[in-house]
Amino acid sequence: MEQFTFVIKDKNGMHARPAGAFVNEAKKYNSSVTVIKEGKEANGKRLLSLMGLGATCNSILNIQIEGDDEKEAKIAIEKVLKDNLSEG
Amino acid sequence: MKIIKGTGIGTKKASGILRFYRSNKSSLNNKFTTYENEMKRLEKAISGVKKSIESLSKKAKTKIGNEEAKIFEIHMMLLEDEDLFETVTYEISRGECAEKAISEASEKYARMLKALDDEYLSERANDIKDIASQLINELSGGENKEFIHTSPYILVADDLSPSQTVSLDKDKILGFVTFYGTPSSHTSILARAMGIPALVGVGEIDEKYDGKYCLLDSENGEIIISPTENEISIFKEKEKEQNRIAKEHESYLKELINKPAISKNGHRVLIYANIGSEKEAEGALLNGADGIGLLRSEMMYLSSDRYPSEDELYYAYKEAITEMKGRRVIIRTLDIGADKQIPYFNIPKEENPALGYRGVRICLDRIDIFKTQLRAILRASVYGKASIMLPMIVSEKEIIKCREILEECKNELFEENYAFDSKIELGIMIETPASAIMSDVLAKHVDFFSVGTNDLTQYTLAVDRQNPKVSYIGEQNHEAILRLIEIAANAIHKKGGWIGICGELGADLTLTQKFVDMKIDELSVSSPYLLGIRKRVGECL
Repeated sequence: MEQFTFVIKDKNGMHARPAGAFVNEAKKYNSSVTVIKEGKEANGKRLLSLMGLGATCNSILNIQIEGDDEKEAKIAIEKVLKDNLSEG
Repeated sequence: MKIIKGTGIGTKKASGILRFYRSNKSSLNNKFTTYENEMKRLEKAISGVKKSIESLSKKAKTKIGNEEAKIFEIHMMLLEDEDLFETVTYEISRGECAEKAISEASEKYARMLKALDDEYLSERANDIKDIASQLINELSGGENKEFIHTSPYILVADDLSPSQTVSLDKDKILGFVTFYGTPSSHTSILARAMGIPALVGVGEIDEKYDGKYCLLDSENGEIIISPTENEISIFKEKEKEQNRIAKEHESYLKELINKPAISKNGHRVLIYANIGSEKEAEGALLNGADGIGLLRSEMMYLSSDRYPSEDELYYAYKEAITEMKGRRVIIRTLDIGADKQIPYFNIPKEENPALGYRGVRICLDRIDIFKTQLRAILRASVYGKASIMLPMIVSEKEIIKCREILEECKNELFEENYAFDSKIELGIMIETPASAIMSDVLAKHVDFFSVGTNDLTQYTLAVDRQNPKVSYIGEQNHEAILRLIEIAANAIHKKGGWIGICGELGADLTLTQKFVDMKIDELSVSSPYLLGIRKRVGECL
């Protein structure tokens, strides 16, 4: 299993568009993608589930990826987070 | 007469007849048939709504803008969301008709999002409801009997979904008023982009006002229902004035915005904007700026209580450079001291700060601070065209030292595998008499000059701008300043470089002809003056 943590820096938090971008990327891989915020888990391939975490600016997310393409998925998902939730 | 207050969207005014629209919820009581049949109906409805979202998205792209169209991409994703689908399926399996199942499921997720103590996310609850109502509408035959009035009117609704907002016929809808909604809802964002005046979150309005005449003022956030004659005439007067200004501006824009500013004898002047922060780049572009002639770095330092990090500066510069889409962005390194003091720099009080520790003098003393800026600019330079500008230069030595430090930063970034524009332009401000007089020597070391006329005036004429007793001396366009500018222009042109003016004189339309005569290459002014100066250059001989 691959995992990493990410701190949301976008002042709007995990809003619809970045959540959408995240889900679209996660769906490209076979691996399961779980996003955990303060013990609450969400399926990274489902938009409503992800938005339901209520992740806001400065929320710490733990992302766990498990499956045959977990390494590639981790790189791609990290990039999506950085591109969409780092600033603004 | 009745006044109702709410949150205004936009600044426009509208007046007309109020028309109430209420959504129809009767189909929720349809009878459940069989599981298979309800599922079939559901899937048919989903594919129907997908098609209509695709066409709405196209419509939004062409009519409004790509950013706004993304709202519909989110709708599409919600429609494909497995959680939502599973919940609907579950409701159907419990013996609910497809309409009711969709309504129940969407309510559940809307409640979940609303419960997330976050204004932005709870607004998304409305997007789910929007999807649900489209699905239910599709199930009941898909006919859209919502807006059937033939003469223009002001629409009143409890809430409007983004898809309804985009479907609004701009020729029919003068404006709209909703009981609920906030300025950050997608509907408000769309209304703003479409230029429809709106008032949201006004609370329930009694239906007895249906058909009544009203005045909608989005700027003041109010509607006046059944206004008095007097109120109407005041309102109309203001509306006329607002429209006149808007029209004038619009026709200017259309006429001028993407036309190069070329004088009658063929000299092209680039019209650039002065901006105080990366956030202003968008406004500059809207007013047709050919580039940014001065991006001040001070705001990022002034608004912070500690030294901004390289990354913070980088993101700000990157935003401005990206926004300008390849047009030049001249970033001035930190110019504090004198009238701009920052507590955490701990600069001791000086007897005469205008002649003291300021501008590049601080940067050459505190090289760590300088390098942070240069590295941030270099890293951001790959996103478009960036140039570096040094303030308060008086001698060749200073530029040579700055160049050395710049090269050092490039080497470090190269070692650290960062991409940057290795040929980034370096220029200096001409704002001291010394720099103008020595401009032939200084020109050898730089790509461009930019004249800061405010400081140049103060230092040349020995006039304190803040002192009302003498400031009038600087306000007369003193020949001495113009001669210094001419000396600098000739010097840099001889070396094949270019020169701009970024001080207040640049915006003085009575001087534009003189600047064209000197073959000034670029005039940088604040955004509201951009079009005026562009027009003026075209009139010059």
